Amino acid sequence: MRRGSIASLVGIGVVAGGIAAAVALVFPWLPKPASREAGRIDFEFWFVVTICIVIFAIVAAAILYSIWRFRAAPDDDSDGPPIHGHTKLEIVWTIIPTILVTSIGITSAIVLARDDKTGKNYMQVDVTAQQFEWSFSYPSAHGLTSATLMLPKGRSVLLVLHSRDVIHSFWVPEFGQKEDTVPGLRTTLHITPDRLGTFPVICTELCGLGHATMRTTAVVMTPAAFNKWLKGQSKAVASPNTATAGKAVFTNNGCGACHTFAPAGTTAKIGPDLDKLAAYAQQAHQPLDAFVRTSIVSPNAYIQPGYPKNVMPQTFGTSLSKQQLDALVTYLVGGKK
Amino acid sequence: MTAVTVEHHEMTPRTGGHWSLLYRAGLIRGALGFCLLGAFGFGLVVVFRWWGGWQPLLDMQIITLVSLLVTGPIGFLAGIGAFDYWVYYALGSPTRPEDHSGHGARTWRDYFRVNTDHKVIGIQYLATTLVFFVIGGFLAMLVRTELARPGMQFVDTQTYNGLFSVHASLMIFLFVIPAFAGLANFVVPLMLGAPDMAFPRLNALSFWLLPIAGIMMLSSFVVPGGAFACGWTGYVPLCSTHQPLGAVFFNQGVQWAGASSIMTALNFLVTIITMRAPGMTFWRMPLLVWANFTTSLLVVIATPFIAGSQFFSMFDHVMHTAFFDPQKGGYPLGYQHIFWFYSHPAVYIMMLPGFGIMSEVISVFSRKPIFGYRLMALSLMAIVVLGFSVWAHHMFVSGMAPWLRVPMMITTLLIAVPTGIKVFSWLATMWEGKLHLLTPMLFALGFLSMFVIGGLSGVMLGAVPIDIHVSDTQFIVAHIHYVLFGGSVFTIFAGIYYWFPKMTGRMYDERLGKLHFWLTFVGFNLTFFPMHILGTEGMPRRVADYAPKFADLNMFISLASFGLGASVMVFLYNIITSMRNGPIAPGNPWRGLTLEWQVTSPPPIFNFDQIPQVVGSPYEYGVPGAQHAVLAPSPAREVEEVGVP
Repeated sequence: MRRGSIASLVGIGVVAGGIAAAVALVFPWLPKPASREAGRIDFEFWFVVTICIVIFAIVAAAILYSIWRFRAAPDDDSDGPPIHGHTKLEIVWTIIPTILVTSIGITSAIVLARDDKTGKNYMQVDVTAQQFEWSFSYPSAHGLTSATLMLPKGRSVLLVLHSRDVIHSFWVPEFGQKEDTVPGLRTTLHITPDRLGTFPVICTELCGLGHATMRTTAVVMTPAAFNKWLKGQSKAVASPNTATAGKAVFTNNGCGACHTFAPAGTTAKIGPDLDKLAAYAQQAHQPLDAFVRTSIVSPNAYIQPGYPKNVMPQTFGTSLSKQQLDALVTYLVGGKK
Repeated sequence: MTAVTVEHHEMTPRTGGHWSLLYRAGLIRGALGFCLLGAFGFGLVVVFRWWGGWQPLLDMQIITLVSLLVTGPIGFLAGIGAFDYWVYYALGSPTRPEDHSGHGARTWRDYFRVNTDHKVIGIQYLATTLVFFVIGGFLAMLVRTELARPGMQFVDTQTYNGLFSVHASLMIFLFVIPAFAGLANFVVPLMLGAPDMAFPRLNALSFWLLPIAGIMMLSSFVVPGGAFACGWTGYVPLCSTHQPLGAVFFNQGVQWAGASSIMTALNFLVTIITMRAPGMTFWRMPLLVWANFTTSLLVVIATPFIAGSQFFSMFDHVMHTAFFDPQKGGYPLGYQHIFWFYSHPAVYIMMLPGFGIMSEVISVFSRKPIFGYRLMALSLMAIVVLGFSVWAHHMFVSGMAPWLRVPMMITTLLIAVPTGIKVFSWLATMWEGKLHLLTPMLFALGFLSMFVIGGLSGVMLGAVPIDIHVSDTQFIVAHIHYVLFGGSVFTIFAGIYYWFPKMTGRMYDERLGKLHFWLTFVGFNLTFFPMHILGTEGMPRRVADYAPKFADLNMFISLASFGLGASVMVFLYNIITSMRNGPIAPGNPWRGLTLEWQVTSPPPIFNFDQIPQVVGSPYEYGVPGAQHAVLAPSPAREVEEVGVP
């Protein structure tokens, strides 16, 4: 190879690499991390992307240079030089990629080990997924449950994931971490939130018709605000006022993810509109109270026309206590009699 | 196919009146067979349920499964004559080993029959798979229409989930895998210097299983409850216990497509091992043959695993077994392990034949020997071996044993090495060559650049921490399309253009071919590249509704995807018009050295008048006087040319 051709090859490579690097820098690729784990994942991401850009630039340069310099005239019937191989070159392009992927493997393994390490003083949160809602319970607060994931900043959190029906997957893009919830298995995920804010919780494993709407939010608050929230919630649940308690049950079990209900301010349209319960009960020829109770405990007993069967979870009969169920029914029926 | 040669065989006399259509092998007897055996399956279920005292007697779920999806298709196969020869043999009737009436095509009707000619079967495969490619592409257009805006506008969720599930299943099981089988069917025996495949009747049967599989998957849309809507991966328990009857159509469709794949792979293995022309040592085989040899190894070893996974899932669905049902002690992750033990090697089943096509095209259009031939063949073998040790990288977030992640990451990253060797060797093949940028070569260059992007995003996914973040997001959608569209589909297009003159005896339109390439190349990148960004930013896959902040990018992708869809029309127009009116192709339009170019276009019915003698490497471009094979000069053509209306 002549010196001039090496120079132009390198030139094309620099331009191709520059374009790729610009694409990498201009677009907002990763959300701003909100956990220490996401920070490490971001490091690994950019480490690998840098290697990828270099390799892409080399390949692009070779292709473009070949097209530019080695293109034959249409009537040129001659052949190229009969080069069958070059052992040293072949060894080089076996060894260098091996070294590169090994370095990716080692850094990844380190990041993975550090991301999974909970330390001693961690807080456990039990995450229960079911079609199509999340609920979070805090063993340290006597099993208080919430439909939004509330977390204190700076605390190592171990999420223990369960599923009541099919496989779901827990993901908060800003936390970086993700893990499936598998029926019959206990899976775990470790996060250490390090930025205040409200972030989406997304189900990323196809779980049925409501998969796209199986969402809630994760709120990272200061430790003081978090403790205050814990206390306030514990009070509301124990409240003798059944409407307040009913609203807590409605919110904490994620009913609003699928149902419209004006008193709770929800507008989802996957399941029947709960503002129309009285009319539904009439169509089903049942007294309102009994109708609402049955519909929660065994949803398939009566299906409102226009809505599919087997979408509403069938597990509330066992997961809600008698008190909670009473409170919820009162809350839903409230004011419509 | 304007002229075919007819030699040493007799055409079957067409006798009998209209009634003979009912008992003569063909589509009409096929329909009859479908009805008869379907009714038999129906009766079988009813009799068993009556005997066992089960209620209700008419359980439509079981009846549909047994009669429509199992016995009916067997009846169809018997009806079209796929088993005729074997039945004659088994019954002791005189067989006619030298009867070639079912061999070769004289009229277009012969393409709708059981035909034992590998060239006819190759074209049957390609035509069928292109039909499913167009249907699968249409489903993708519907998916993109719904995704153009956030919220639900166009279809309901059940339909949407069905659309992307059937799209993926058709593209994988009815397009990419069998399209490669079709190209290889046509080319491999020619390249080996063989008159046909080792088992021509098995070859015919393999093809006819395909339309059954495709129609089965498509018809799930009209089953009560809708199509299977759990993705092409069919994860349990969603797909086994939470799905309408359509899921069984997927389970069973995969069985038919898988059986077809396995039979074809066995056929290739035996053909390649036993039917090479004299002098054709393993180290003189073209890399396309090597690629199909290694692919067939993967198919034969891996495909039974997906068959198993789908049977178990279906048993859970219809027979209430508990292979994967955790409530009865089953293990949901067991499904994923068995499924990916096939479906990861399947990625290479969809890639290696394309690598083979690339080696042929790049060498011929660069007018240079393939660089590092032996290392190219050995890296195929390395991919086969490593390919079986990486399956759990699809399961980094699945909840499997955490210790399994790092070993699977290492094997996954290492498989980039043999793949890299291939890419660098193709680049070195072009170096200092005489590049002719005709349509097949354009698609080869498009493949090289796109596949590198797909391969590099694959390395990113191999790194566990990155995979944890982007798993099940649009990033995965982008990655698989860079690998399977930018990779496999580009090579299929390159292969179809490259062998089009050989298959049809006519040249395609070069200008339309180039237009097709550029529309595809630009449309492909505009469609799939932005999906990387959507995924890393936080948009999951398999959703019809998404956060409003992703609206603009999704609209952009949808518009680009319609352009990409339109580009296929240019391709179809080109091949259909060129097949009828293109200029007559010479035997060797690309001045290739491999054996298929040394015979007429299209080749004679038994390929070679005399078995050729192979004397050297297939890629000796630029070596003065080099020859790959010596063909006996054909005795002054006594062969009668017959024009076909």
